[in-house]
Amino acid sequence: MRIVIAEDAVLLRDGLCMLLTSRGREVVAAVGDGDALRAAVAEHGPDIAIVDVRMPPSHTDEGLRAAIQIRRDHPRVGVLVFSQYIETRYAAQLLANGANGVGYLLKERVADIKDFLAALDRVAAGETVLDPEVVTQIMGASRRAESLGTLTPRERDVLAMMAEGRSNNAIAKALFLSSGSVEKHVTQIFTKLDLPPSEGDHRRVLAVLRYLQA
Amino acid sequence: MITAPVRAWAWRDLAYALTMPVMAGIGLAHLVLVSLSLVMAANLVGLPLLALSVLAARGLGTANRGLARVLAGVRISDPAPFRSGPGLVNRLGSALGDVTGWRAVVHGLIRLPTAVVAFTVAAALWGCGLVLLGCPLWWRSSALPYLSPGDWLGAVLMSATGMALLLLAPWGVHLALAPERMLARTLLGPGPGETRLRRLEQARAMAVDDAVARLRRVERDLHDGTAARLVTLALSLGMAQEELEHAHHADRLERARALVDSAHSSAKETVAELRDLIRGLHPAALDKGLEVALATLTARSPIPVRLDTDLPERPTPAIETIAYFCTTELLANVAKHSGARHASVDVRARDGLLTLLVRDDGVGGAAPNTGSGLRGLAARVGMVDGMIDIRSPMGGPTMITVELPMRI
Repeated sequence: MRIVIAEDAVLLRDGLCMLLTSRGREVVAAVGDGDALRAAVAEHGPDIAIVDVRMPPSHTDEGLRAAIQIRRDHPRVGVLVFSQYIETRYAAQLLANGANGVGYLLKERVADIKDFLAALDRVAAGETVLDPEVVTQIMGASRRAESLGTLTPRERDVLAMMAEGRSNNAIAKALFLSSGSVEKHVTQIFTKLDLPPSEGDHRRVLAVLRYLQA
Repeated sequence: MITAPVRAWAWRDLAYALTMPVMAGIGLAHLVLVSLSLVMAANLVGLPLLALSVLAARGLGTANRGLARVLAGVRISDPAPFRSGPGLVNRLGSALGDVTGWRAVVHGLIRLPTAVVAFTVAAALWGCGLVLLGCPLWWRSSALPYLSPGDWLGAVLMSATGMALLLLAPWGVHLALAPERMLARTLLGPGPGETRLRRLEQARAMAVDDAVARLRRVERDLHDGTAARLVTLALSLGMAQEELEHAHHADRLERARALVDSAHSSAKETVAELRDLIRGLHPAALDKGLEVALATLTARSPIPVRLDTDLPERPTPAIETIAYFCTTELLANVAKHSGARHASVDVRARDGLLTLLVRDDGVGGAAPNTGSGLRGLAARVGMVDGMIDIRSPMGGPTMITVELPMRI
């Protein structure tokens, strides 16, 4: 897997490089700002870009803007946005044009190395990974409580895990359910959210998006 | 003295004096209007008229202020613009009570005699001077026989007198304009209450900006420094954890040890960084009083600092904090910009005032706009109605005095 890293904190950038290299990933470029990131992605065409939201020169949402642009200009490049805090609005912007190959994680998730690497692989493979915190925020937002009202607490749990990008099997294991009942919950969620059957996992993503954009 | 008549200011003074009849005339007409409206104010017709003439006085004041600024070189700032609530009645009320407008009316009244004096002096000095200077040209003509000197010698003498008058004229006019300048300065600028209000408003705006900037700096330090370090630390520990799962391989155990080592030093650095950040927010030593806090501060300075304190009583905590951060900022400036070898800090409390004096033997040239943080300092000091005095000639030494009230 070929990776571009954009992170302005040198220590963390070096740490990430060391981690990924030691796990057999190839870091083709490690940069510190949005422009360099765009250039590196255009030059190397990586499988995935790991992008810090806040970078110079503006120190606001430099990385997010670059990430959105990369998704538009290089749809095959997976983008994992990597930030110290979760902004639901950022997640919505990031997912506005589809959710394939997008991730949004808190930086501290890197400490759970196996999970982090798995998330990386999933995003590179075109799946969606959202931080549990994103889901918590969305679920916690009172204005969404109404549209959530039709879901049972159990269905919300399942939806939350779907948003994190977990498979039915993984959800079953985490919630101590049989995979059959998870499947039933998922179908219920799709029905309640009025999502027509479609091929592949796309409906799962749509279910998450529906909440993000509610 | 000799070159005065050809200097620009002399001509501007003259031009100003020559506008006097026009401006005073307009002012007089306006005063008549004001008196008429006052007389008619008994019935309701006069009130709108009076309101209008007060607003007109504002306009006249603006014109007079402009002339005084450009021609007489008077430094006056603009008073606050006219403000009123919505609706006709509000506008009427605000116009009738408009202090700036009424001050302009008073100016129009008092300036009448001073204008007459200034114009007369200017006309007399320059006019007579020119006429006398030209004496050799006209003394033979019959138009002014009773003024004519009898002969050439007399004509030359009169011409010399004219010359002398012309040399004196600029000074005379300048002197005659002094009351005019004084009137313009006191009546056409912002009133005394307005000036203080504006100073406080400015201090408040700067203080708010300063507070926001400080919070942002703290956030930036936490985000880019502490949080990034902690994430890196967690990353190292996570990697070490994974290596330890294979601890039976000697090389992986060794790698785990290296990772833990780096995490260990990273943790210590984070703590040190955090301690600096916390001290920047509120130094613990300040709880024991300004003297203790300043002793700690000056002891840490890279340049030797002599500290002298005389504080028979403690100021309020807010003042102590401001005084402490002023000293921090000033000593940081000394270390960064002055190239000084010695510095001193004097703090004393007298008559309800806390005076802080920071001196250094450096290169000087400190000013509020040189990006030395003096502006933010002035803002914080101004917020509690204190003041800051900067004496820092090029080449040094620098002496900065901060005066704060003991209580707020």
